[in-house]
Amino acid sequence: MIAIPYLTALTTHFSYGLLFVFGHVRDFFRKLMFFTNDNLQGYAPICLGAEDFYIRRLYLRIQDCFGRPIASAPDVWFDVVERYSNDNNKTLKRTGNISRCLNLGSYNYLGFGGADEYCTPRAIESLKRFSPSTCSSRVDGGTTLLHNELEECVARFVRKPAAIVFGMGYVTNSAILPVLIGKGGLIVSDSLNHNSAINGARGSGAIIRVFQHNSPDHLEEVLREQIAEGQPRTHRPWKKILVIVEGIYSMEGDFCKLPDIIAICKKYKAYIYLDEAHSIGAVGKTGRGVCELLGVDTADVDIMMGTFSKSFGSCGGYIAGSKELIQYLKYTCPAHLYATSISPPAAQQIISSIKVILGENGSNRGVEKLSQIRENSNFFRSELIKMGFEVLGDSDSPIMPIMLYNPAKIPAFSRECLKKNVAVVMVAFPATPLLLARARMCISASHTKEDLIKALEVISQVGDLVGIKYLLGEADKQQQERMKLE
Amino acid sequence: MANLYVKAVPPADLNRNTDWFMYPGVWTTYILFLFFSWLLVLSIFGCSPGMAWTIVNLAHFLVTYHFFHWKKGTPFSDDQGIYNSLTWWEQIDNGKQLTRNRKFLTVVPVVLYLIASHTTDYQHPMLFLNTLAVIVLVVAKFPNMHKVRIFGINADK
Repeated sequence: MIAIPYLTALTTHFSYGLLFVFGHVRDFFRKLMFFTNDNLQGYAPICLGAEDFYIRRLYLRIQDCFGRPIASAPDVWFDVVERYSNDNNKTLKRTGNISRCLNLGSYNYLGFGGADEYCTPRAIESLKRFSPSTCSSRVDGGTTLLHNELEECVARFVRKPAAIVFGMGYVTNSAILPVLIGKGGLIVSDSLNHNSAINGARGSGAIIRVFQHNSPDHLEEVLREQIAEGQPRTHRPWKKILVIVEGIYSMEGDFCKLPDIIAICKKYKAYIYLDEAHSIGAVGKTGRGVCELLGVDTADVDIMMGTFSKSFGSCGGYIAGSKELIQYLKYTCPAHLYATSISPPAAQQIISSIKVILGENGSNRGVEKLSQIRENSNFFRSELIKMGFEVLGDSDSPIMPIMLYNPAKIPAFSRECLKKNVAVVMVAFPATPLLLARARMCISASHTKEDLIKALEVISQVGDLVGIKYLLGEADKQQQERMKLE
Repeated sequence: MANLYVKAVPPADLNRNTDWFMYPGVWTTYILFLFFSWLLVLSIFGCSPGMAWTIVNLAHFLVTYHFFHWKKGTPFSDDQGIYNSLTWWEQIDNGKQLTRNRKFLTVVPVVLYLIASHTTDYQHPMLFLNTLAVIVLVVAKFPNMHKVRIFGINADK
């Protein structure tokens, strides 16, 4: 539930309308002036219709806020390469200078993004022993000792009987869903699911229905309606029903209402697929993800998916489930049969980081990291709310999006923060709905208190400059009410 | 006025091209935009209020016909072209007919027509042009016209 000031909604609609009009006027003149007669007569155009309108006329204008190249590891402080443009951001050139910035954008939840005293030497050792790539798919020659150890380690960590790992997190979703469900099945997915799950769902051939974000009541309504109607046109019963939800939604920072959703899925006999890309390793008392945080038994979740690029400082994804499920996936999933297996040093990094989180390396750094990230997140979020920003997300969640709304504030906030050496990530249409553009901060366990205070100062100054402290009155009012009660 | 907050519930619509229409503030922006463009036309051309409303009505006809009923697909490629044969009008509300948004968008040209013809005292040639505009727009928005391409005009290749 996001509270938008009404005036801001009106001005945002108007701004996008204006940008749209300008884009079309420019396109019109371009068509008029540049009737090129290239020797491509008879070939179909690469872009059908106005498919690239958004990219050309809106995204390219603020291109310098996205895709900034970095010149070091994504640790808490990192080097951002400066760029300039001579043709209004259509092309960007690197100047060769780098600026040291505070990193509020990388998914570095437990601080494994930088060099780690336990993980890095072991990763280098495995690099020397196994070389950077297995040069083969899992079935041919790409299964090393590390891969087997990694799968056992992941299954033990997530508390499921078995697990299978893949080289890429996006591919895990988009290659597994077509294997799990096909034509004649029903996929009910949360409206804010990640593109990888949507891609996989579309590729499966099943019918897709969407339920309102994090609303178990609407999920029940959709399930009842779909089960009663059956498949479209034939009205036969569905072959399989799969409900896809995420642990932490990366654009909102809020947790899934897992206990309620699992109760509903059990009632209507639907399978549940939990995508823990952001929550595994980052939340929960021992870092075991959103199931541990919300007190859900992992035996109730049929398929648990996660990625290693967020909390473990590596790359790749996994699926954890029953032994039969994993056995089936090993025979059928194309990402296992044909894609190159996960790189051995990356696998070693994951094994070492899991050992650190669980404390099996003999130190309690894992416990420290987990409590540090929780403290950091709660401190940062409460300070931002006190300053009057509109911050989304639940407490204990390390992702905090700050609402911007107006399209002009996106580049303003980004560039001003960069000038003050704080690097933040902007999220705009089409990753989020049109009106709800936001700046998304990801807190890490390696952020010290000084780093967070510096970040808060910079964000407060830039927020005043750009004018995004929408809830300033509300924050004061709440404080006054609390003072009156005391 | 700045402290008036509205709750924005994310709608269950996967089509990013049309889900912005389900958020609060769209109807008001549309109406305010028409009103301010009338003032703009009045100040630029210095014509009578009736002529200004006629100009706004005809410009509204051209713009909304082009964007709602002529252009097909979406202005970005993330959805892999699944809406490439549907105009914007056919995409909104997931193709469901007679929703509140559709009823509002059908009423606006009619109200504009009434204002334009009243303020010009029903004189020709303005009356003819205004009537033509409203007939085309309202017929294009009928539920029976969903995915209909008359004589194959604007159909897919």
